Amino acid sequence: MIILHAGESKGALVFWGEASMDARVRPTSRQRRRSRGASASPHPFAASADDLAGALKETGLSLKPAAKRAWHVTAWLPTKGNSPVPSSSLIAEPSKSRAKTKLVAWAVPACRFSAEEAVELLCASSGRRTLAAGVIVGHDLAYWAEALRFAGSMVARQQYLPGLTADRDEFRATWDPVFVGADAERLAELARRMPAAARALSEPDATTTPEKPSTEVLRRFAATLTDHLVRTAVSDTSPAAARRRRNRSSFDSVHDSWLHALMSKDGVVVGDAEDLSLLAAQVQEWRRPIAVSASSPFRLCFRLEEPEDVAGTDGADDNSSSDEWYVRYLLQPHDDPSLLVPVEEAWKAGGRKLAALTRNGSNVREFLLSSLGQASGICPSITASLENAKPAGYSLDAAQAHEFLTEEAVALEQAGYGVMLPAWWTRKGTKVRLAVQARARSPKMQGGSGLSLESIVQFDWEVALGGQKLTLRELEALARMKAPLVRVRGQWVEMSSQEIQAAIDFWEKKGTEGASVRDIIQMALGVKDAPQGFDFNGVRATGWIGKLLKQLDGQAEFKELKSPRGFSGTLRPYQVRGYSWLSFLRQWGLGACLADDMGLGKTIQTLALIQRDWRANGKRPVLLVSPTSVVNNWEKEAARFTPRLPVLVHHGPGRKRGAAFKKEAERYAIVVSSYGLVHRDVKTLRKVQWSGVVLDEAQNIKNPETKQARATRSLESDYRVALTGTPVENNVGDLWSIMEFLNPGFLGSESEFKRKFFVPIQAERDPSAAERLKRITGPFILRRLKTDRAIISDLPEKLETKVFCSLTKEQASLYASVLKETEEALESAEGIQRRGLILGTLSKLKQVCNHPAQFLGDNSGIADRSGKVVRLTEMLEEVIEVGDRALVFSQFAEMGGLLQRHVQETFGLEALFLHGGVPKRQRDRMVERFQNEGGGPPIFILSLKAGGTGLNLTSANHVFHFDRWWNPAVENQATDRVFRIGQARNVQVHKFICAGTLEEKIDEMIERKKEVAEKVVGAGEGWLTELSNDDLKDVLALSKEAAGEQDVVSIL
Amino acid sequence: MSYRYYEQFKPSRPREAKGGIKAQSTRGGFGESWWARRWVEVLEDLDLGARLARGRSYARRGQVLSIDVEKGAVTAKVQGSRAQPYRVEIRVERLWGSDWEKLTSALLQRPVFAAKLLAGQMPEDIEDVFADVGLSLFPDRSDDLETDCSCPDWSNPCKHVAAVYLLLGEEFDRDPFLIFKLRGAEREELVGAAAESGIGADEAAIEASAEQGADRSPPEPLPVDPVQFWGQENSGCEEDVHGAARIPTVSAALPKQLGSFPFWRGQESFVPALEEIYRRASSAGLDAFLGERRDQSD
Repeated sequence: MIILHAGESKGALVFWGEASMDARVRPTSRQRRRSRGASASPHPFAASADDLAGALKETGLSLKPAAKRAWHVTAWLPTKGNSPVPSSSLIAEPSKSRAKTKLVAWAVPACRFSAEEAVELLCASSGRRTLAAGVIVGHDLAYWAEALRFAGSMVARQQYLPGLTADRDEFRATWDPVFVGADAERLAELARRMPAAARALSEPDATTTPEKPSTEVLRRFAATLTDHLVRTAVSDTSPAAARRRRNRSSFDSVHDSWLHALMSKDGVVVGDAEDLSLLAAQVQEWRRPIAVSASSPFRLCFRLEEPEDVAGTDGADDNSSSDEWYVRYLLQPHDDPSLLVPVEEAWKAGGRKLAALTRNGSNVREFLLSSLGQASGICPSITASLENAKPAGYSLDAAQAHEFLTEEAVALEQAGYGVMLPAWWTRKGTKVRLAVQARARSPKMQGGSGLSLESIVQFDWEVALGGQKLTLRELEALARMKAPLVRVRGQWVEMSSQEIQAAIDFWEKKGTEGASVRDIIQMALGVKDAPQGFDFNGVRATGWIGKLLKQLDGQAEFKELKSPRGFSGTLRPYQVRGYSWLSFLRQWGLGACLADDMGLGKTIQTLALIQRDWRANGKRPVLLVSPTSVVNNWEKEAARFTPRLPVLVHHGPGRKRGAAFKKEAERYAIVVSSYGLVHRDVKTLRKVQWSGVVLDEAQNIKNPETKQARATRSLESDYRVALTGTPVENNVGDLWSIMEFLNPGFLGSESEFKRKFFVPIQAERDPSAAERLKRITGPFILRRLKTDRAIISDLPEKLETKVFCSLTKEQASLYASVLKETEEALESAEGIQRRGLILGTLSKLKQVCNHPAQFLGDNSGIADRSGKVVRLTEMLEEVIEVGDRALVFSQFAEMGGLLQRHVQETFGLEALFLHGGVPKRQRDRMVERFQNEGGGPPIFILSLKAGGTGLNLTSANHVFHFDRWWNPAVENQATDRVFRIGQARNVQVHKFICAGTLEEKIDEMIERKKEVAEKVVGAGEGWLTELSNDDLKDVLALSKEAAGEQDVVSIL
Repeated sequence: MSYRYYEQFKPSRPREAKGGIKAQSTRGGFGESWWARRWVEVLEDLDLGARLARGRSYARRGQVLSIDVEKGAVTAKVQGSRAQPYRVEIRVERLWGSDWEKLTSALLQRPVFAAKLLAGQMPEDIEDVFADVGLSLFPDRSDDLETDCSCPDWSNPCKHVAAVYLLLGEEFDRDPFLIFKLRGAEREELVGAAAESGIGADEAAIEASAEQGADRSPPEPLPVDPVQFWGQENSGCEEDVHGAARIPTVSAALPKQLGSFPFWRGQESFVPALEEIYRRASSAGLDAFLGERRDQSD
């Protein structure tokens, strides 16, 4: 495992790493001599150049370290005794030495990248803990990714200017960021957050600690990246440009040369040195006004103030009574933006507030006059105000106020001034505007059936303001007022006379139209644009359509259904609601995403829906797509809850294809398959007219470009359901693909979605876009948390589930060979020898079920070789994502070690591991850290022997039993670690079982004899040795379903 | 004689000049602001006839290779029909000490003048202020203005002088202080006078802070504490510092705020070229902000 770091050195980023013991390839590094003249000793656990190269290769990015040769920088790191303190306990436990921490220079192997590659690496690191398994993003690297976003934002907003700098003997054309206003604040804030590690590198021969100011380091980095981003976006790579580059001397003037260099790759400006230094001075002079405002400690703000509210007026004609708007000038210090000083204070010499502004000796008056002078170029009314000896602002009428809101404010803001506008204007989502709405009439229901999304409904258009319908006369009255800002019912409303006229025209031409229920729903949700560019105010409807819309909107309850006939489970109250909701959407052919927290029973709710639909819908099959690791689980759960529904597992090499498959599938109620096969067998699967398609762990299709996402979208079915435990609604980028599967077209094409929702929400922080998105998707996503009040009361304290996993091909063949060996030996064994053989075999088979690496004792790769580990990884990901905490018990200490390594490498998070060899004091420390709510590591792995008793681990709310101890008492005792006094939450217990192996058989036996289990089973596994040979063979045999024919996840 | 006369007035074709200063206006008058137009009017009043038209085409074709403005004098190089460019000089009568004192005290009575001048703009009615104290901003008498050119044309001003004159007019659009410089006062002196009267500031201090800006921060020692040193998880993104990143509807607002570049001699016009660059760079910036890798084919 490697933690990747990045620090600034000579204006560029340098990457280095810390490596944990197991990842280090360093036979020679320890003996590496100090490089000549260097004061630093080699860092004892820094990643070697080869480690770095290997780790970067893992990331899958196209990176080439600039130099292959070993290259070193000096890193000044906190050091205890004679070893640097690791940046994270993932690398090593912090030293227990009592020595004082001091900063010491260490030589670390490092690599440098081109700006292009550095940007790629930083983009990939943004918001992530790992770049690949075992390649962890250090806090300093994560910080630089944030700094890149800052530069990206400045480039997007165009806050930069061309420049020309003398760089030793040549001149370079540069794009320099301009930090004014909010960007100056961001620069300061980001500099404050810079981890010291980001500026702790120095040249190999440095003898003193670097003391580079963080603001400086960040400013330089932002400048380098701004220059790079602009340059690469505009650099001309055409052959013509290449030709021009070859004869650079052919420029007619230094200006041509400069402009060309601004767009060239290296930025070098050719020309006479004297001409160029003259030009550099001119550039400086040209940029002077902005440099002055950038260097000033405060900025000028403009605040638009509404007319005083005149009491007792109401209705649309009250704007005549008070029409005096005011733009007030204010000064705002950069270092305390909350302080707003009206400029009146500035004209009064010696004012108290003014003293606060002028403490660094700047002249406020000159700044003010110069700023007002510049602003007067944008906003002519300011000029008039300057005729006053002490200008403080100016008055406007409604029309001017409207112009200020719509035009001048934008221009002033872009020029770096602060602009403060009334809240009703800036809150775009709730801004009242003239809008159109549809009024739909419900046709008569014909016996309650025969209605579908395609039924045609009649509707009329209405013109409305703030949700209230307007008559033609009211519209004409508005038109007569001719004011762009009108106060209607106490609220300011923006409307142009063209807009009102267009509304009148629209009103006069409109007639009754017809549309399908689907269209009406889309109109109500705001999916469609209103005619003629009006704002769309939704659909008003009465009758059943009104009810349907209200139900979708969550404003009206839908009928709670009874458990379907033939369903053998018991639904908890919230599960009844979930199942009824699924059935309601299914009835209309609308797709539903059930996103309940893990453990709330998405499976059981879905099975209830399938059971109900099976009877009602001509017994056509449902296709259920899940990750390979849970295919078996679905089969088991279906057998348990819907025993009368025939289930076909479409998996493995024996699966049918083409017409044979179609014929077979149509005899089943549920066909379970995996994402990998959906893509591979898409032709076969498309032959069936499915009743429904259900995607489990639907985050698997979040990337719309993947083959499985495309394949799932292409399947035909009456309804579609997506299940996921991760909060999809929070991740705007992932939403499109899932919605496109569920309700095609609702979010537009992918590029429309990016333009209308993704960019406005993610980049522009537009709350109205977020609101529109929520309105469209909300009706189709149901997410309940186990912490919801209504849910908690329905949940038992302890929720036990069995998690059925499959074996990988490797596991299956190992299992078979162990079995064969045993069978032969068993024939001749007796007494103690037989006992020993059986116990040994049990242990071997359990190890195979856990992980081939545990059985083989090899230290090779962990991922993808064990069905259990794959499933555990998926579940832990959800645990971590929602901020839960988990215990993972295994009876094998070696397995615990493997899991710890795997969890740490996969998630980049520390996982605690307690086993028999851990001394008491360290054990207490682990428990303390885990119990430390919020801060501690979220995953605690324990060996059953060391951790099964005595500890108090109530901060966990998940318990995983990775392997089974055939004594329920021992398991329960371990589970009870979290049930000590102090447990406030519901706890989920997940028992992992490899389907079709001895684990399942023994589980069945325990279940059958539960009441007497403790007596029969006693304290250990000894009872198994009492079984006859035939019974034993039966217990240990590998059933067909377990035979994983392929690696669990490597299908693609 | 007639032969010589003919040769004298045969319109000579000037040599093609590369990288000369090209007039920003391609047709119509030179200069948009009133003070630029006032300047050009002085020239037009001199009744140059055809020479003015040729001066215009010189100015538009970039025959003027360089212009230097000093107090009271302009020197320029203009490419004519000979290999060696001609040397043009325009001398303007300077205003001296007491005149300037009278002027600055009159100017500073109204904040609008100080504000406009500090912002690099020419106040509309500044000529009135000059008139009030019995002076004029523009050289209004013929002996206020003296021109000279090394070309063989006897008439003065010649087309070369006219071209320089017209280009200067355009330059006044951009930098109103140029006219003050010609009349004998640098920008700094003018603003310095304002400072004395209590409204202006220590120009040098502003200049210094604008220049250094960056280097003011004192050195920061590295913390020894490991937690502080390595930083906390999410130290960069616990709270959103970035705010909204919206691609502006008007491209290249910052350079536009500063106006066109002084005596631009590029083949492409300055601001339109920048507009295109800023527009293209914006979407690349947005991608970096959103953490999306840029499509190379883009």
